[in-house]
Amino acid sequence: MGGVGDEEPATKRMKLSAGELRGLSNGSSCAEPVAGSSRDLMARPLPSEGDEQVVGSKGVIKRVEFVRLIAKALYSLGYKKSGAHLEEESGIPLHSSFVNLFMQQILDGNWDGSVDTLQKIGLSDETIVKSASFMILEQKYFELLDEEKDMDALKTLRTEIVPLCINGSRVRELSSCIVSPSFGGTPGKNIVRAKSRSKLLEDLQKLLPPTLMILDRRLEHLVEQALVLQRDACIFHNTLNEEMSLYTDHWCGKEQIPSQTLQILQAHNDEVWFLQFSHDGKYLASSSSDQSAIIWEVDVNGGVSLKHRLSGHQKPVSSVSWSPDDHQLLTCGVEEAVRRWDVSSGECLHVYEKPGVGLVSCGWFPDGKCLFSGVSDKSICMWELDGKELECWKGQRSLRISDLEITSDGKQLISNCRENAILLLDREAKVETFIEEDQTITSFSLSRDNRFLLVNLLNQEIHLWNIEGENKLVAKYKGHKRARFVIRSCFGGLEEAFVASGSEDSQVYIWHRGSGELIEALPGHSGAVNCVSWNPANPHMFASASDDRTIRIWGLSGQKVKHRGAHSNGIHLNCNGGT
Amino acid sequence: MDVDPRHFNQVAINDNDIHNIVLSYLVHNCYKETVESFVASTGTKQPADCIEDMEKRKRIFQCAVEGNAQKAIELTEELAPDLVEKNKDLHFDLLSLHFVELVCAKKCTEALEFAQNKLTPFGKVEKYVTKLEDFMALLAYKEPEKSPMFHLLSFEYRQQVADSLNRAVLEHSNLPNYSAMERLIQQTTVVRQCMSEDNAKNGNPPFSLNDFLRS
Repeated sequence: MGGVGDEEPATKRMKLSAGELRGLSNGSSCAEPVAGSSRDLMARPLPSEGDEQVVGSKGVIKRVEFVRLIAKALYSLGYKKSGAHLEEESGIPLHSSFVNLFMQQILDGNWDGSVDTLQKIGLSDETIVKSASFMILEQKYFELLDEEKDMDALKTLRTEIVPLCINGSRVRELSSCIVSPSFGGTPGKNIVRAKSRSKLLEDLQKLLPPTLMILDRRLEHLVEQALVLQRDACIFHNTLNEEMSLYTDHWCGKEQIPSQTLQILQAHNDEVWFLQFSHDGKYLASSSSDQSAIIWEVDVNGGVSLKHRLSGHQKPVSSVSWSPDDHQLLTCGVEEAVRRWDVSSGECLHVYEKPGVGLVSCGWFPDGKCLFSGVSDKSICMWELDGKELECWKGQRSLRISDLEITSDGKQLISNCRENAILLLDREAKVETFIEEDQTITSFSLSRDNRFLLVNLLNQEIHLWNIEGENKLVAKYKGHKRARFVIRSCFGGLEEAFVASGSEDSQVYIWHRGSGELIEALPGHSGAVNCVSWNPANPHMFASASDDRTIRIWGLSGQKVKHRGAHSNGIHLNCNGGT
Repeated sequence: MDVDPRHFNQVAINDNDIHNIVLSYLVHNCYKETVESFVASTGTKQPADCIEDMEKRKRIFQCAVEGNAQKAIELTEELAPDLVEKNKDLHFDLLSLHFVELVCAKKCTEALEFAQNKLTPFGKVEKYVTKLEDFMALLAYKEPEKSPMFHLLSFEYRQQVADSLNRAVLEHSNLPNYSAMERLIQQTTVVRQCMSEDNAKNGNPPFSLNDFLRS
């Protein structure tokens, strides 16, 4: 051994090796370095290298573990010589010699030998020794069965496996296997029952303590963990397929968030109260106090143009709802009626009314065959498309100003039921749960994955609730202004990582959903912004509706503005909101 | 009914009926000698071929209870041909008795072969799969009486199989496969329970057959 001037370090390395081996076998961390090395540490001016027990600036990475992971990764990548050389140079063996013997015995099919070695590896936990022995003997059993040595297999079962006295139910399954792999097939048919030996080794690795046998691809797993954490921490992350590099920490800039008005749509004659993109992002529907609703078309370049003006309501239109297949639209007149429209023709297909009362909210059932609406008598009604009323939930179910949502599996119906409470009605289990706030709730919206509810409150806060299982408040978003009107917020962006809201100060507010950090406050409108809708198909586009009678389409700054000649919606604007 | 249920002990009973009930019990369970002496004592008419039939069934029953399934099947074939073939559940139960015998005699190779050849064909039908697994599990243990399936080696189990065989044979000979005594006791228990439920409001304890028989 030894290169130049290597006497002392060589001895130290050898001692370290022996200590490592002992430490490895009983799964404890490595032994103390010999006294000599600490003396040397003081003599040397620079830390790192040499025999330091920890590496890295924070001192949390143990040298021995780090080197073993690298050696393992080298072997997995196929660089056997480098792996062996690392083991030698560092003096840190990847596995103890018993473990190496064990692994080889498994791959060679030397079952009795491997069970023997298992006793010598130095496991303190008897149950692990038994479970591992069971696994190995099971392999022996199946390989014998595959070789049609039924009596030998039976002998193994009776004399070696059963005496372990564990896993009785598995023993039962094993004895059934002797007669036939599955009772449907004919006995004696060539079905291979044993798994591969390398798979067995993998399964054993998971069973044995990780210090003994390093798990495959452990280093890769740690690196992936770091990358995922970086991505999650990136509050501007809004583009699919961003490639992540190991060379620098992942970081997205604000330019990923739409912050520039690309288009102003002026087609309504009064306050625009509500708007929503279709599920496929190809259309936008808006509704206004001018008693009409408008269907807009989004072209491939992101340009928005008027497609149909839907007239017929005699009251301001408070909300719209897209059918699950985006072919039809529901509009709701305030305390009036709900109308169903065909998107391609703009024709009104049906009017839903209830004598003596008015409808206040509307929503589609996920199968597209029925619809729900809140009624001014506080009940909720379910209709078939042809107008036949199917069900009616009476009692305090909805308010005069009320939202209505249904989860995409059709199971839960969500509605404002009291000033400071939202009702979640499980239609199947017939169970009602509530979300209760201290403040009046003005509006809410449901996330696409049905797991979260965004609730807007009178006190200018937006609360995020997790409605999976028990209803839990998860986050709060502040900064926008709300005093007199109903302001709406929505989820949006890549994987709904952002929350956007309108505000009475005429700005659009955007927060990062996970961290709650306010990212943008975008001016542009000249009246309160009532509603924001983020395009589900394009994370770089959202639309806002305002009391100033316009709708603004927002996109990334630096994007060229596209507009159509027809209709007065082509105002060319650059660099409007944001920094 | 004209009589008030609470005055049931005033219902008239025919002696012949009682004799027939007792007889049916004795015949069902093959108590040949008792039948002969009972008939002699009471003068009740004995059905034709009764004694012979009882003898044969008794031997079948004995074989089954002892675990000698092969002999039981043989004798059954003589008395009621094709019965075992047609009754799959019964056939399986009898074959399993033989299997258990082999296992207890530590004849592993034979037991395994027997299972592979005779029992596994049943495995094609869903309802036999669990039963088959139960029996196969016995093979894994050097001391089957200490295995989780030890109840399959018990006397009670063999008696259960013998009993089903007996009923099947009776049915085959167009005789009732239950004795009148059994049915009457079953019905009585139900009726008494219903009646006592009514009385429970008055604080009376629920019906217990045991207590009734001892009272």
